[in-house]
Amino acid sequence: MAQWQEVQQLPPAHLERVHQLYTTTALPMTVRQSLADWIEDQDWQQAAEPFSSHARMLFHSLLALLGEQLGSLGPGDEDFMLKHNLRKARIDLQAAFEEQPENFANLVANLLQEERRILRRAQAKGQLEAPPAPNVAPQSSREQEIQQRLAEFRTTLQEAERAFRHLEDLQDAFDFSYKMYYQPGQDHSRDPEYLQQVQALQAKLQSLDRQRREVVAQLQQLLGRSETLRDFLQQELSAWRDRQQRSCLGAPADTCLLQLQGWFTALGEGLFQLLQLLRGVGELRQKVTYEQDPLQTELPLLEKRLQEQLTCLLQSAFVVEQQPCMPNTPKRPLVLRTANKFCTRARLLVRLHDRNHRMEANIHIDRDPPKTRGFRKFNILTSSSKTVLVGDSPREGLVCDFQYLTLKEQKGGGSGKGSRGTNEGPLAVTEELHLITFTLAYAYCGLELKLETSTLPFVIISNNNQLSSAWASVLWFNMLSPNPKDQQFFSTPPAAPWPKLAEVLSWQFQSTAERGLSREHLHMLAEKLFGSKPSPESALPWTKFSKDGAAGFSFWAWLDRILALLHDHLKQLWKDGLILGFVSRKQEKKLLKVKRTGTFLIRFSESMLGGVTCTWVEHPENGPPAFRAVVPYTSAELASLALPDIIRDYQLLAEENIPENPLLFLYPDTPRDEAFQPYYSQRHEGILTEKKAYLNQRLIRVSSRQPHEMWQTEEDLVVATEDLETLQLKIGGQQPMSLGTVLEGDVTPRILQAESPGQQQVVAVGVGTQQPGPQVPVPPSLQQLGSGGLGVLQSGMGDLGAPVVLKLLQVEPGEQRVLPTGGSAIGPLLGSGASELLLGSSAMGLLPSELGDVERLPLQEPDLGQLEAAELLPTLDDRDVLLDPRDPFLPQPEDVSLPTAATSLFTADCDFPPLQIDASDFQ
Amino acid sequence: MGQRGGHQESWKKLEISPSEVMKAEEENSKEENKELKSKDCKLLSVFGAADLRNGAVGLYNIGQTCCLNSLLQVFFMNIHFTKILRRIIVPVRATQKMKNVPYQMLLLLEQMQCGKQKAVSPRELAICLVAHRVKLFVQYDAAQLFLTIWNLLKKQLKNPELVGKLSDLYTVCVQEHLACQTCSSETKRNSSMLTLPVPLLDSCSHKLKTLEECLQCFFHPEELTGQNMCFCEHCGKKTPFLQSVKLVHLPQTLTIHLKRFCFGRSAYIHKLSDCLPFPQDLDFNAVLTEQQCEAYDSEKDTWQYELFAVVAHSGSISSGHYCAYIRSLTECKWYCFNDSIVNQVSWDDVKCTYGHSDLSWGQTAYLLFYMKKHPLRSLI
Repeated sequence: MAQWQEVQQLPPAHLERVHQLYTTTALPMTVRQSLADWIEDQDWQQAAEPFSSHARMLFHSLLALLGEQLGSLGPGDEDFMLKHNLRKARIDLQAAFEEQPENFANLVANLLQEERRILRRAQAKGQLEAPPAPNVAPQSSREQEIQQRLAEFRTTLQEAERAFRHLEDLQDAFDFSYKMYYQPGQDHSRDPEYLQQVQALQAKLQSLDRQRREVVAQLQQLLGRSETLRDFLQQELSAWRDRQQRSCLGAPADTCLLQLQGWFTALGEGLFQLLQLLRGVGELRQKVTYEQDPLQTELPLLEKRLQEQLTCLLQSAFVVEQQPCMPNTPKRPLVLRTANKFCTRARLLVRLHDRNHRMEANIHIDRDPPKTRGFRKFNILTSSSKTVLVGDSPREGLVCDFQYLTLKEQKGGGSGKGSRGTNEGPLAVTEELHLITFTLAYAYCGLELKLETSTLPFVIISNNNQLSSAWASVLWFNMLSPNPKDQQFFSTPPAAPWPKLAEVLSWQFQSTAERGLSREHLHMLAEKLFGSKPSPESALPWTKFSKDGAAGFSFWAWLDRILALLHDHLKQLWKDGLILGFVSRKQEKKLLKVKRTGTFLIRFSESMLGGVTCTWVEHPENGPPAFRAVVPYTSAELASLALPDIIRDYQLLAEENIPENPLLFLYPDTPRDEAFQPYYSQRHEGILTEKKAYLNQRLIRVSSRQPHEMWQTEEDLVVATEDLETLQLKIGGQQPMSLGTVLEGDVTPRILQAESPGQQQVVAVGVGTQQPGPQVPVPPSLQQLGSGGLGVLQSGMGDLGAPVVLKLLQVEPGEQRVLPTGGSAIGPLLGSGASELLLGSSAMGLLPSELGDVERLPLQEPDLGQLEAAELLPTLDDRDVLLDPRDPFLPQPEDVSLPTAATSLFTADCDFPPLQIDASDFQ
Repeated sequence: MGQRGGHQESWKKLEISPSEVMKAEEENSKEENKELKSKDCKLLSVFGAADLRNGAVGLYNIGQTCCLNSLLQVFFMNIHFTKILRRIIVPVRATQKMKNVPYQMLLLLEQMQCGKQKAVSPRELAICLVAHRVKLFVQYDAAQLFLTIWNLLKKQLKNPELVGKLSDLYTVCVQEHLACQTCSSETKRNSSMLTLPVPLLDSCSHKLKTLEECLQCFFHPEELTGQNMCFCEHCGKKTPFLQSVKLVHLPQTLTIHLKRFCFGRSAYIHKLSDCLPFPQDLDFNAVLTEQQCEAYDSEKDTWQYELFAVVAHSGSISSGHYCAYIRSLTECKWYCFNDSIVNQVSWDDVKCTYGHSDLSWGQTAYLLFYMKKHPLRSLI
């Protein structure tokens, strides 16, 4: 709104002040009113300077405009008075200021300033009275301030540019007069006209000098303001850096750079404009200079200060937008594997560039490697330089995106693998930190700079089984290092304060399974680590975190396996809070003791890697409550049967009792089926009337208990032995699904078992066939069962609690063929040890020809004892091995050690995509 | 006309926001006005003052006077100083007037508060200073120039009462101790200083982190051993001494001089542009230990300061620019005085003068002026 309009809308008290202002001034309010817009548009301040030619021009324009106004007025009554007033004002003004138009300019400038002051005060008062306006956009005050300052910077810059143009005019005028009139050498001392000219010239030079100083002061001021702004932006940027670092560790954080890019670009633009302005001023000095020229001394200083500002701004504006990361482990950046692709991206936040100048970015790895013995050296394969892409849309920026980089270790002197032993450094491979440095040759508006930025330190591994400990290093570094480039961090790694560590650990769960750790969880972990109640000062040394551990594995290894388990099998349950997870035994008893029989909770095993177990409470008629827990399930078991299904069908066998499910209520008191209903897998209950070619079947888990076994007290927990059993339940064959052993004919499940308390049993169950195992291990056997049901169950459980191996065959109704990939496709089955290697029935290649037409196959019992894993594996060509290829935490097929690979040879669903594995991968 | 309009305006303001200080000031200026009127018809409109008016007025740079301008602004924005300035005895003769620094300063102050321009030229004052060998077109060290101007003021004030007030307003009293480490005889000497020249580096050339640390370092006792040993009268030989400075009295306006220009290993002088944060509120009782003070508790109670002004330098040792950040005592708002350009700024802008180790040309605070928070208590 125009100022005069605003003034008129002032509340009466303030309006009174305006009236007062105009009663004492030479400018009548009539004139102010009728020429309001024009008056406000002029630069009176400028004109008020002594010797300003501008003032005279403005004064005469005003008189002329008043004349026009008079002419345009009609003959009406009201107009008559107005006309009179205007005419009188015109005459008065002319009389008063004809000689000193500067005074008039000064007067108007002051009046306008006075008006503004009154307006400000009125507004301030109004704001005090009015309730604070509701904030529409909840911007942070810092954001608002930056926006405001940017806007202010722009307007001040425009003012400076105006002042500069004025200076140009003045200089041109002076230059012209100087060349016209100044004639040194001749004696003009008697020529009064010449003397007058020289005097005028002197006055012009004075005003030029004044204007120059004015412009310099303005530039000084502008530079000072920009320093604060740059400071603000750098603070925001370092906050972003922190956010990025935290988000690398899995914390939820906003790492968008768009707003910062906008700000940096705006300030950069302004500073470059200022640079141009400075150069313009410099050119003026080239044309006209004089003794004590302020530009002579001040300009170089200003230029240096501005260049420093720009350099500082641009240097900080070059950032690594994406830290190096392999695409197949997106949640664990900063861990790179040799020969694996990774990408990284840098961005220049000042989006200004010269279209004619090709900007090239380069990357170097470990430009200044630490001088530690045995520090590995790497080469970046693929090109290490790239032209910076310039997108036109504002969302894009000056980005150098390196997409398909791979690393290769430099081998010194042709030595092979063995030579590493001799120059092995003090640091483990996973504690060795590497850096990639980006450099960019930037040129804009005649300013040439070499910009540089570095990634966060990363760990280079050569094998996937190092991933876990490499990630531990990344966590530790980013959590604790005060210097983001410290490659020597692990020579003396500091201890982690518990509150910090707790936060980072929680992020791991948050990013893996979308639910962080609760206070109770953290409390349990702290007790596990520190033994007692953690104080805020408790700190965990690096070795205790990643290396030593009482149970034979480190704290981190334990936690990371739980993370992997969660990710692979329990994500949803964890996310929905059904897994209590981290509960110490003591706490567990405390929780369950007061609950009714059958209340159970799910927690992670503390004694083994990546295990989850259920503990339930039983209140015997007399004596203290008993707590029971099954041997923890690992990913091997969970791959074949999901935890909710295990819980649903879990059976406890006790002599003289009908098998029953002891798991009734999920802690605190949710009925089992209510809690787990949404997670149960679909059952295909057949319709009895329909004629089916196959019987339906499903897997359940059963534990057994010896009759003589004592009910355990709180002190000794019974680990119920548990076996894998198969049950044939119903007729049904709509799905070519076959889990476990398919039994023919017999509808009644018969469970056979042998057991020795406290030990895991190996049981292979089939109808009519029994393989009791009084001696452990039991020689594996193969069973060929009736027509229509082609199935083999191999339950190979070693006494070491090794994973159960199960091979399933799929059978399609009506066709006596083995699925999925033709006759011979039965995968290898591996027991816990090489000696217990088990093979599917047709693994020897004997079966396929028979399968097509034979309904009943003879029992086969290959001499497995003679087969060694190493011998067998190369023959695995084209077999179906079922692994989840999408699983980033699962070891990559080629890196998997053999037993682990075997554990994942499970299938629970025929829709599962088979993965082809080359035999050569195992070599 | 415009002048008269503004004139009334300042009266109005006084009525609207009367604070005790302002009222006192108002009355003072009234009285002074009469006094002055009778003596000098030039000072017709000496009421209202730049420091009471809402607007801050710039000073034109008339030949590398940025240093002078900054210091003048610091003087003029200090109402305690202007109170003294207004009571000066105006010299009778024109030549005396020309050479009288306080009088010229007063004239300039009046020019600033009466004129409605955004800036005025300190020409007469500059000429007056030239007469006292403060040349134009020379880059001065602000601390040095401050001392020069202050001494000129003190010398020319004539009125002993005013001289006393000026000294009270600015001088720090300390007690220097020299203790012989062998016989523990001690010599004390009271002395006063206009500024506290605090080092930015400690005795081992380590950078100090905050202003508080710098002050602690300044008051830290120093052992004089080896070559620095002094002759002890009691022992009759050169002995190691412990030299220390104890704080006796702090003035209303405390000036701290950050020794940013320092000698390197060679004779070459360089500027330290490292970051040195200074607080807005400074409590000397929290900074200094009991042993470092030699004052009564009633005196110590008044050692609560808040930042009033910062004279900042940008550039290098040989060429540079000064500007002043001043917190208006009446409005409690920060202004940046950059010669003729005056801007209202925020504390964040002032914080920018902490310095930055990467920016050797940027702004760095050079002189800090702290103001006592409770001026009245010191009178009791």
